[in-house]
Amino acid sequence: MSLLRAEGLTKSFGKTHALEGAGITIRAGEVVAVMGPSGSGKSTLLHCLAGILPPDSGTVHYGDRELTAMNDGERSELRRTEFGFVFQFGQLVPELTCLENVALPLRLSGMKRKDAERAARDWLGRLEVDGVADQRPGETSGGQGQRVAVARALVTGPKVIFADEPTGALDSLNGERVMHLLTTAARETGAAVVLVTHEPRVAAYSDREVVVRDGRSRDVEFAR
Amino acid sequence: MNTPGVYTVCIVLPMSIGHALLGLLESGPRHGYDLKRAYDERFGQDRPLHYGQVYSTLSRLLKNGLVTEAGVEAGEGPERKRYAITDAGVTDVERWLSTPEKPEPYLQNTLYAKVVLALLSGRSATEVLDTQRAAHLATMRELTRRKVDGDLADQLICDFALFHLEADLRWLELTAARVDQLAEEVTR
Amino acid sequence: MKRVISDLALGVRLAVGGSRKSWARLALQGVGIGLGVALLLFAASLPSVIDARTDRQAAREIVAEGNGPAPLLAEHQSHAFRSDYATGYYLKALTPDAPVPPGIDRVPGDGEIFLSPALARLLDSPRGELLRPRFPQKVVGTISQAGLQNPNELTFYAGSADIREDDNAVHGWGVARQGGGMHPVLWLLSVVGLVVLLFPVLVFVGVATRLAAAQRDRRLAALRLVGAAASRVRLIASGESLAGALAGLVVGFGIFFGVRPFVDRISINELSAFPSEVMPTPALTLTVIVAVPVLAVVTSLLAMRRTIIEPLGVVRDQKPVRRRVWWRLVPVVAGVALLVSQIGKITQTEKPNQWPVVFGIVLLMLGIPVLLPWLVERVVFLMKGRTPALQLAVRWLQLDSGTAARVVGGVAVVLAGTVTLQMMLAGVEQEVQAKEKKQAAFHYLSVKPRQGADTNGIAAALEKGRGVTALHRVEQAWGQLDSGGYVTLNIAPCAALTKQATIPNCTDGKAYSVRESTGLPAAQAGDVVTFRHSGERWTVPAVEVIEGTGSIPGLLITPAAARGLVPFGTEVFVELDPAVPDAAEHARNAMAGYSWQVYSYFGGQDDTDEAERVFGVVRRALLAGSLLTLLVAAASLLVVALEQVRERRRPLAVMAASGVPRGTLARSLLWQNAVPLAISTAVSLATGIGLGVLVIRVIGAEVAFDWAGIGLITGIVVGLTFAVTALTLPSLRRATGALGLRTE
Repeated sequence: MSLLRAEGLTKSFGKTHALEGAGITIRAGEVVAVMGPSGSGKSTLLHCLAGILPPDSGTVHYGDRELTAMNDGERSELRRTEFGFVFQFGQLVPELTCLENVALPLRLSGMKRKDAERAARDWLGRLEVDGVADQRPGETSGGQGQRVAVARALVTGPKVIFADEPTGALDSLNGERVMHLLTTAARETGAAVVLVTHEPRVAAYSDREVVVRDGRSRDVEFAR
Repeated sequence: MNTPGVYTVCIVLPMSIGHALLGLLESGPRHGYDLKRAYDERFGQDRPLHYGQVYSTLSRLLKNGLVTEAGVEAGEGPERKRYAITDAGVTDVERWLSTPEKPEPYLQNTLYAKVVLALLSGRSATEVLDTQRAAHLATMRELTRRKVDGDLADQLICDFALFHLEADLRWLELTAARVDQLAEEVTR
Repeated sequence: MKRVISDLALGVRLAVGGSRKSWARLALQGVGIGLGVALLLFAASLPSVIDARTDRQAAREIVAEGNGPAPLLAEHQSHAFRSDYATGYYLKALTPDAPVPPGIDRVPGDGEIFLSPALARLLDSPRGELLRPRFPQKVVGTISQAGLQNPNELTFYAGSADIREDDNAVHGWGVARQGGGMHPVLWLLSVVGLVVLLFPVLVFVGVATRLAAAQRDRRLAALRLVGAAASRVRLIASGESLAGALAGLVVGFGIFFGVRPFVDRISINELSAFPSEVMPTPALTLTVIVAVPVLAVVTSLLAMRRTIIEPLGVVRDQKPVRRRVWWRLVPVVAGVALLVSQIGKITQTEKPNQWPVVFGIVLLMLGIPVLLPWLVERVVFLMKGRTPALQLAVRWLQLDSGTAARVVGGVAVVLAGTVTLQMMLAGVEQEVQAKEKKQAAFHYLSVKPRQGADTNGIAAALEKGRGVTALHRVEQAWGQLDSGGYVTLNIAPCAALTKQATIPNCTDGKAYSVRESTGLPAAQAGDVVTFRHSGERWTVPAVEVIEGTGSIPGLLITPAAARGLVPFGTEVFVELDPAVPDAAEHARNAMAGYSWQVYSYFGGQDDTDEAERVFGVVRRALLAGSLLTLLVAAASLLVVALEQVRERRRPLAVMAASGVPRGTLARSLLWQNAVPLAISTAVSLATGIGLGVLVIRVIGAEVAFDWAGIGLITGIVVGLTFAVTALTLPSLRRATGALGLRTE
């Protein structure tokens, strides 16, 4: 059964048509790479799927709920509780320590500070970055920062993790390490991963790929 | 599923000349000499075909029923014979185009020929490329899995293959992005 | 040299930049510094204003001695009208070439009058209706600036044929200037006022030059990274600050000359001045012109030392170095010590050594912005974010508390100064109100006819006055005690005396001594009084000490006890009907015919509450001043907040994308503004109250708190916090909006 399903998405930014009838289906627990040249609309597709951007037309269903029919508050809540996010850079709050960054989503959901930080520390350990728990993001290396970000994405036990070029700012060795940790952890927790990348070696960590070209997606398994 | 082994760097796979000639014939009957010229122009930059190669290939295709003789023009010599593609030949080209090449390094010649021929025959070159990408990625996934589970030697060997396959895929991406430009050029 | 100039020019260009944002920053700096400059220029004009005023005042003093018969007679008179006094001269020229007082072109003839513009306006207005009967003369002209102390002075020169030659001879006008004889306490009050007023201006100029500094720090750090030497970066930074300071000077002079024409509209006489004389002295002007840019450059260089030493410090969000506290405490401790050492040293009569007090106040004020960054850092460091919003705010402040502390440092000084002044005002006001309350029990007009005036005629005229319920005549004499003190003797029957003071069981034959504010009675039995007018001596009989609740000081003596006493003058106490509005003015009008021959003093609840009127104006002025400063400070806080949102666009957008509610982010912004402001408000209230108590102790007055004023200021600060946050929200919305994540 599909976990996340988008149909006929269109989205324009001014005169630029980012999406022109894109569709995609994500099943629970699978790792899907969204590939395509830059400017093809990969990121926009991800933003629409995650409910960050409302599409101009088309629908996105998460399970049996229609994401595109929700208001901003409901979508925020859904993103906070069901989804996790890893971006290329600049996602950690620079003022908070790494531990606090990871604990933040839990605290926003009302968990007590102590419990939240215990869970956060646990995740930092699983991603092998417990050493930087009390440092600020600015004091860590790029690879460590991305792993902290992965920990933050996973800490709430999300059903879907959206990763937009998560290794874009890393060298191959660090990038592959992050990908390995991300996909392993996702598979262990049963989270699906939507992985936007233009790097074939990163995409090779996926179970299957969807190609976006000129705002249209080509879902190899669920064509049209 | 093909399990890639260790590749030897120097291999240059002979491209399927038969399929290439069939593809060229799809746009209309041609003389053998014409065919050689068209082939050399598009694919034979550093290694032009010999006449012998052309005629031996054509006769094989004739024997298999993929081409027919389409009349002889009055003139001097046997090379004035014209060949045309048969329905079986078209099917064969189609099958060839839609079957991804076994993901191996140094595929450019064949892939390039496929893309050009797809464009020449009005088929979707993008589809050729996407099919190929899927095959490449499948191989890369397999290699990645092996790498993750293997020891350092495995990892290094797999990485070597992965980087080469990635180069192919990059080329595919680039080609896919420029397919329209290429189409303009080949059909000019 | 050429490189120095080109580096400075590069700095100026970076400041002006050309983009809308850099212009906005420059404009904000210009307005901020400009306000300070304008205030400084007004302060620099004070010497010329006071100078000119003293000159004019001296020029209209009477020259009483001369050769031969006096060419002119003059009687000085103060007409009380509600809370105002119209003060002037009644003149009688004896010769055609009688000396003409300054401001008018001839000596007025009998029945003629020259009025000051303010008095003319008052008489024309409905408000002056009850004053008109006292000026029945024909108005023949207006007194010009030369004859006025300030534009709002109520004064006149009237001609009167009744003046006798006794002791009112005038040989000329204008005496040599006397040295300033200001009351020491008044003097101290003005010094405190000036320091409190000017110091925040200086601090504020410093803050204004640092507006949007974080952005500039980054820019300069980038210059440093590409290889500019530290000295060159300093030059470039100086250029940037100079641009702001110069803009501020231009704006400041603009404001000064723009406001100057209106200084004669200030309704407090002592503060109003003729626009033409409001001119900063050249030396002080030059000081302002030089000091403001120097201050700007020095503060920005000081603030930039970290950037210059480690360019990466700005680029990377590293934990800043902990601030050290000991040297920050030095000014506060020294200031408090100086002030404490002065308690009790200043009395009403002695000229104080003012410097310890002034230095004490300056040091304490200086201590606030010096101590505040450390305090904000410590408080923020100890704070644990209980909610995610608070945690975000606190962590940001921990990383960069300096910027916020600098901005609120200016606010804190202004607030502390305001609170101090408010307290001093409240103290004085309380005394005035207490006095008025005491007097309110006795609703009367005290009328003192001049020597030789027709006392009986005046009394008869008064009896016909509206609202007059009774008249009491009190005979008076003045004398000196052997101890050196002076004492007033009031002789009247009990019926009259009990109206003027609370005397239990008044009986004829007794004498009463009023307890003075020192706690001692005015005189005791056996004291010997030497009368001034006659030189006779009189021994004080047995007296009963009474509390000084009434209006009459000195000794109250019943006729039977006053045997052998020759009174010198008479005072008529007019009892007034409190139900009749303006009864005092009606009574005064009843004796208007005796114009210069009578002096009257109203004791009782005024219809126009004097305390409310004067203190209301001062309080409003103070409030307006602090509000203005707070507004500018809020503007700079807004700049800091906006810049911070812009700077953190990416993390903010990502947080919004990950489902962090926008409300949480907005609350974190609110906390970010509120925490430093709350700390600085607490500090400034504490400092203001502490300083107020110290200064009031130093001048030996009652400590009073103006809670309403303090509450109002605090309320304004809270309101501004919300306003600044609200203004930041649109940019937060933009950063976290749908397009926030798109990098280009």
